[in-house]
Order: sequence, then C-alpha cells, then structure tokens
Amino acid sequence: MSEEYENKSGYQAQSSETISGSSSGITPDMDYVRPAENAEQDLYHPHSFIEKWVFCQDAKVIGVQYFLTAVFTGVVGLILSWLMRLQLGFPGLAGFITAEHYYQFVTMHGMIMVVYFLTALFLGGFGNYLIPLMVGARDMVFPYVNMLSFWMFFVAVAVLMASFFVPGGPTGAGWTLYPPQTILEGTPGHGYGILLMLISLALFVIGFTMGGLNYMITILQARTRGMTLMRMPLTVWGIFTATVLAMLAFPALLVSSIMMTLDKLLGTSFFMPTILKAGEVLEYGGGSPILFQHLFWFFGHPEVYIVALPAFGIVSDLISVHARKNIFGYRMMVWAIVGIGALSFFVWAHHMYVSGMNPWFGFFFASTTLIIAVPTAMKVYNWILTLWRGNIRINTVMLWCLGFIVTFVNGGITGIFLGNVSVDVPLSDTYFVVAHFHMVMGIAPLMVIMGAIYHWFPLVAGKMLNENLGKWHFWTTFLGAYSIYFPMHYLGFIGVPRRYYEMYDSPYMTSGVGLNEFISTAAFIVGAAQLILVFNIIKTMKTGKKAGQNPWKANSLEWFTSTVPPEHGNFGDRLPVVHRWPYDFNVPGAEEDYLPQTAAPSEVAHTEVEKT
Amino acid sequence: MEETKKKEQSGSTHKIGIYLWIWGLLFVLSFFSYLVDWYQFQGMLRWSLILFFMFLKAGLIMAFFMHLYWERYALVNVLLWPMTAIVCFVALMIAEGKYTLFSRLFYFFVGG
Amino acid sequence: MSDPKIEGFELEKGFRGMAKDTGSDQTMFKGVHWGKAMMWIFLLSDTFVFSCFLIAYMKGRASTPAEWPNPSEVFALDAFGVPVPLLLIALMTFVLITSSGTMALAVKYGYERNRKMCGYLILATALGGLTFVGMQAYEWSKLIHEGVRPWENPFGAAQFGSFFFMITGFHGTHVSIGVIFLFIYCYKVFAGHYEEGKRGWFTKMKGDYVEVEILGLYWHFVDLVWVFIFAFFYLW
Repeated sequence: MSEEYENKSGYQAQSSETISGSSSGITPDMDYVRPAENAEQDLYHPHSFIEKWVFCQDAKVIGVQYFLTAVFTGVVGLILSWLMRLQLGFPGLAGFITAEHYYQFVTMHGMIMVVYFLTALFLGGFGNYLIPLMVGARDMVFPYVNMLSFWMFFVAVAVLMASFFVPGGPTGAGWTLYPPQTILEGTPGHGYGILLMLISLALFVIGFTMGGLNYMITILQARTRGMTLMRMPLTVWGIFTATVLAMLAFPALLVSSIMMTLDKLLGTSFFMPTILKAGEVLEYGGGSPILFQHLFWFFGHPEVYIVALPAFGIVSDLISVHARKNIFGYRMMVWAIVGIGALSFFVWAHHMYVSGMNPWFGFFFASTTLIIAVPTAMKVYNWILTLWRGNIRINTVMLWCLGFIVTFVNGGITGIFLGNVSVDVPLSDTYFVVAHFHMVMGIAPLMVIMGAIYHWFPLVAGKMLNENLGKWHFWTTFLGAYSIYFPMHYLGFIGVPRRYYEMYDSPYMTSGVGLNEFISTAAFIVGAAQLILVFNIIKTMKTGKKAGQNPWKANSLEWFTSTVPPEHGNFGDRLPVVHRWPYDFNVPGAEEDYLPQTAAPSEVAHTEVEKT
Repeated sequence: MEETKKKEQSGSTHKIGIYLWIWGLLFVLSFFSYLVDWYQFQGMLRWSLILFFMFLKAGLIMAFFMHLYWERYALVNVLLWPMTAIVCFVALMIAEGKYTLFSRLFYFFVGG
Repeated sequence: MSDPKIEGFELEKGFRGMAKDTGSDQTMFKGVHWGKAMMWIFLLSDTFVFSCFLIAYMKGRASTPAEWPNPSEVFALDAFGVPVPLLLIALMTFVLITSSGTMALAVKYGYERNRKMCGYLILATALGGLTFVGMQAYEWSKLIHEGVRPWENPFGAAQFGSFFFMITGFHGTHVSIGVIFLFIYCYKVFAGHYEEGKRGWFTKMKGDYVEVEILGLYWHFVDLVWVFIFAFFYLW
C-alpha cells in the first residue's frame, strides 16, 4: 500500500474504536464508522497461467475478458453494417449481397449490437471491472460463478458465430425474430440458423443470470464500511439497476426462445397460426404470433434501458469529474434511474402499435411511454446543470460526454414522436425509427463507452491515452455519426421503409438516392475512424506516459487501489473506509479541488461539506 | 467463543410445532382445492376458490417454510414489489387474449 | 431467520427498519448470508420465468377458438375400476408438500447442528422428490399412450399438449436438478463437511449449514411453483 493512500484514507481502524482527544474542536466520534459486518472475503488466488488469465476468478480479468469478447462481436456487427450500407448506398455494386444475405446482415447486426455487444460490454465488461472497485469490495461475492458466467457468454458468442457457417447461414428474420415467418421456409436461415440463434440466446441468459446475481449481491451485501447506497457513484447505480432489469426481463426472452425452439423442432404451435402455403395448409394451427411479440418486448423494452442506464450512470460520473463539480441533484439522479427502471416494465407494447394488438392498449402504453420521458429529461437537465459554471476540462473524455448529451437529446425527442400512437403509425417501419433508436441506444451509449475507455484506460493499463488522437477520434466519430443518422430522419419522413433490400424506382426514393450514398460513405468513414482508437491504444501501450495514481483527480474508490493497475484483492491489506459521496469537487475551504471518498471529516475540518 | 457461536445459531431456529402446523395446513388446503374439483364447482365460484386456496398455500410456504415472515422488510419488499410487473402483464394479457379470440371469431367466422 | 445481532447497528422493525437498513452502509439485507441473498434473487428471476410460461399458457388458452380439454377428465385415474378425477395429481401434490415439510425440518435441524437428523431429513426430501419425478414420468407416459403429443391431442385444442409438456417438463427439470443437489448435500451433511468447514469441490470456498437453508429455499420454490401449476393447469 502506498504512503499517499495511507494518508488519504485517514481513519483506518477495523474495530469500533473511535478517535479520542479532541484538541482541535473535533468531536470524538466525528470519524466514527461502524465496524465491518462481513468477514474478510476468502479469495482463491490463481496458481497457474490458465487460472490467472483463462479460467480466472478475478472480476477485473473477467471484466477485460468480457470487454474483449464483446468488442469482437461489435466488430462483426460493424462489418455487417458496412455490408448493409454498401448495398443500400450503391445497390448492385457488391454482387455477392443477395436479398437473403441482406436480411441475414440486418438480423445479426441488430442482435449482436444490442445483446452481445452493448449489454455484455456495459454489464459484463464495465460492471465486472468497476463494481467491486467502486463499492470497495475485494472481488465479486461469488468469483467462481462469475468465471462461469463469462465462459457461458463465450460459448453463447461461439454458437452465434457458428451460425454464419452452417448450411443456410444465420437467421434472416430481423432481430425481433417475429414468428411465424422466422421458422418458415422462405426466410433465410430458417433451419440451423434460427436454432443456433435461439440456443445462443438461452445460453446468454443463463450466463448473464450468473453474472447478474454477482453484481447485485456485491452491490447490496458487500459494500465497504461507510459505503451507503446513497454514497455509491452513479456508475454503480446505473449498472445495478440495469442488472435488476436484466434479471427480470431476460426470463421473458428465455421463455420465448424455448417456446420458439419447440415450435421449430417439435412442431408445436405456440406462436404459429394456421398457415396457407402455396394453397396448402401447414401442420401448424391455433397459435398466437402476437404472444411472441408481447413476450419479446416484455424483454425488449427493459433491454433498451439495460443498455441506457449504465450509460447514464457512467456519463454522470465522467461529467462530474471533468467539470470539477458535484453532480447536480444526486438523489434525483438515483431516483430517476430507479424510476426509469421500474417504469420500463410497463411500456413494452409501444413497439407494437401497428401489430394488431388490442387497440385500447395504445392509451395505456402511450401514457406510460410519455411518463418515462420525465425522469429521463430530469437526468438531461441535471447533466447540463452539472456543467453549468463548472470548471470544465475540454479533454477527450468531456468531448465524448458532450457528444452523448447531444445525441441522446436528439434521439430522445424523436422518441416522444414515436411514443404517440397517431404519430407512430405513419412513421412506423420507416427510417425515422432506424434513426431514432440508433441515436438513442446506439450512438449515445457508444459515446459513453468511448468516454469511459479514455477515462478508465489509465486505471486498467496504467498509461494515459494520447489526447490529440483522442480528439481526432471523437470529431470524426461524432460528425460522422450525425452525417449517418440525421439524414435518416428525413428519409423516414418521405416514407422510405426500413429493412428493404432495394428501393428500385419507387417514387419517394428518387430524392433519397443521393442521401443514401452520402449516408453510406459516412458510415464507411466512421467505422474506419475507430481504427484511430486501436492505433492510440497500441501507441500508448508502447510509448504512452505513465498515469500514476488518480490522474484525473477523481474521488471514487477505484482510483485509490493499492497498486495501479489494481491487483487481485484490489485494496491491499485493508479495505478503504468511506466517509462521503464521490462528488466532493471544489469544496469551499478545502486545500485541493477534490476530496476522496476516503477523506475523513477530521482531515478536512475547515471545509463546508454537505453531509451525505 | 465456539460454544457461544454454536448456541447463538441454535437459538435462532424456531419451534418444531410451527413447521408441523404449517405442514398440516398445507395438506388441508390442498385437500380443499382438490374438493373444488371433486364437487365440480363451476364459473366464478370455482375460479375464486382455486385462487383463494392457491394464494393461501403459496403465502404459507413463502412465509414460514421459506422464512419470509421472519426476514427483515428490506428483503421482503425487494422480493414482492417486482411482482407488480407480472400483475400488469397478466392483466394486459387477459385483455389481449379476449381481443385475439374476438378478432378470430369475428374475422374467421363472421367474415369481417 | 430471527433478527441477527450487528455490532454498532440497532435493528428496527417494519418499514422504519427497512428504511434504516436500506440507508445503512455495507449491507442492505442485514444478517443475510451472501449465498442466501443470491438464491432469493435467483428465485425472483426464476419466478419471472415461470410467470412468463403461465402467462403464455393463459394467453394461448384464452385465445384459442378450439375446445380446451377438461383437465378433470384428462387427468383422471382408475382406482378400483372407478375413474377418480386428478387422483395422480393429488398424490403428486401430497408427495411434494411432504418433501417440502421434511426440507423445512432439515433446515431447522441443520441450524441446530443435529447432523444425523438433518441428513436423514434431506434424504427423505430427496426420495420424495424422486417419487415425484417418477410419478410425473408415469403421468407423461400415460398421456402419451392416450395419444397426447406436444403438437396434437385427441381431446381438443392442440395447445393443451404443448403447454402441458412444456410447463410440467420445465418444472420437472427443476425438481430433478433439486433432487441431484439434495443427494449431494445429503452426502455432504453426513460426511460432516459443514461442521469442519471443508472447502467446496469447485468453488474452493468453505461450506456452512446455511447452504442447507439455501437449498431448502430452492426446494420450497419448486413446491411453490407446483401450487400454481396445480391451480392453473389441473384445476382451472
């Protein structure tokens, strides 16, 4: 443990003894923190290379494993989007992209990006790495289960990728996998492809359940002394609420996968109505396709927030640290996260306005959808008010955060359009919807991920990423992403339907041809621009300057580990003791512009600190 | 130290009587719900009796066999509040089921 | 179990206690073992799985225009030449509730460190579970003989067979997994692993009698689900 750490964390005693002698007017129990409830965690230290790097039980290594696997799937998803844009912008240029291939690309791109990339990256990657560090635990509470969780995810990814190589290729039913067409002849990949997809999803759910239990119990039951729920960084709150959502929403996905698998393999008719095919009645009959849609979106809508909430949490922390100002309305932020999480289970059918469900549902779901916009808007106001009169550092991390706010507001406002039934009906299944959800849950969370990479790379690797390259990376990505998705709103207004392989000479497309070419070109550039980050990381690892401890002068516990990067067990001999929230920046009267969570009240006796 | 620890742990268990009582009650309630079928009650009476006995049994199992009655409210509330999502889902699916049946009968047999 | 004692923290009752626990540091569920908390959250998640199954069943049954078979007749069993409605199901319910009761007692004796009693009761629970699975296998084979298939059945709506095999199958899988673990824990209790704090085979973590309670929670949950299946599938 470093000297600096010893000093910063101040009062360290593990028993209930209090500081005695109050010559400087400090009351004796000012620094008192309850003794530890939990026994010291029993850790299994690795004995071999395989135990250290492959079947590792250290949450930090598991986090990096999750991160890299998720990034791999993300790259596959990116390449698929390139191929789609190639076809849309320049039809016929790449002859190998048939209509079947195009649908397969759409499906796999959607499923990969939403489930295997964003969910795994935020919860598996950032969650595993940051939760134990931020709440002051030595590791996740069940390290072995945590390890199994990653390998289950790995197998799920392997199964998913295998579907590219089976006869018939991956499924091309669209990422929502709506029956009946998903498992009927004529849909690409209706044989092995869909089967592997369903198996992979089931494996993902099982693996995620193992991880999710770990995240939840670590946050609820293994916080360090002094760490109350209302002293946790918002990152942890976001990841926590997202995990709760996942634990309760993934069951619906599991159930619908199982039922669809049975429809496919055994010929049951859960989702399959009576179907006439070329004048012939198929074996199926009596099932309810709309039931699948309900089950799917009962999972699918919370899933949107599973991706969004960790992003909300992380961006709050990044903004606060880099604006050197406490987060505006911390408690409001927490309640907004929890409220969004709770409400997200009551809005699912706004994805189904045109599906032929009970028409009265429109009232209910439009209302709940507009209500959920309230806490979301509160969060946006709070981010802006955090920036207001802050001591803003315009560095790469801050740029990504600002980019996030802009794209998120943009995507959120189009969400208000789509949440109203009467506006949604004409816009449904047009590029307006594509633009909306890519802005709000594609680009916006991606901006946060990039910001988070620049922010926490010094912790994980111990070196600072290059700022100049980072700014190039940001501006190309930000402007490029806007060039892609902003014109799509217009395409939607003129009625261009999504998921179409080719528009041919349809009248509304004639004005859109140029736009489509422009969008595609931008997409190629933005995708390639991500190589700047790869180059930056390689360059930094070789020649980057050492980060040292706490380079951003942040307050939360992950920057106060015994070594940088943190070792197994995170905090050396003694766990830190927490005395305050993580947002004490520029406290009047303090010597430095930040007070770590471990700073005891007696150390900063002359400051005016809000009691948290 | 070991001794006191042992004592504390054994002190925290409940009397055997309560388990036997609940056990007996569960048998009786199961028997009653079986009788609902035996006497072929129909309609609302049948459904409400089934639900009544079901929730009573479920409540007893959760409260006493799973010790939820003795757990602290923090845990109890965390476990029970998410059920509102399920209740909402059930309520909406009842409406949806009726609507699907209606539209099937209407469009298939009446012909729109 | 009853309220734990926590140094430096006064436990209060009711909602006030909930607010205080939630607002405190370190743990939210005071005195609850990590593994037990994990099992509760897992069961919450599993509740959603079964709820989704049952909701799907409800929606499927409510929206099918075909006649739904009368479970009272389909599941009747001939006893001494007279068809008794739901006889087998009643017996299965009896067996499962019995095993749930023995499990509850096993947990109690585990905490009292009564190794023998705890072990025998877990064994009884496991045997009860095994009987249940056996009876379910009999029920399935009987229905299959009568021509019920997941995709069709002679009594009416095809979805009847689909939902029946899927939901009871999923529940039966839970029971079977539970039985396997009951046998493992039975061995571990008799071998005294929880008294000497022997490390687990895979996790390398020390065990304690609280693990019996955790397994007990799972087993009662299986019973709980059966209460709902019994009501909604066999009686409704």
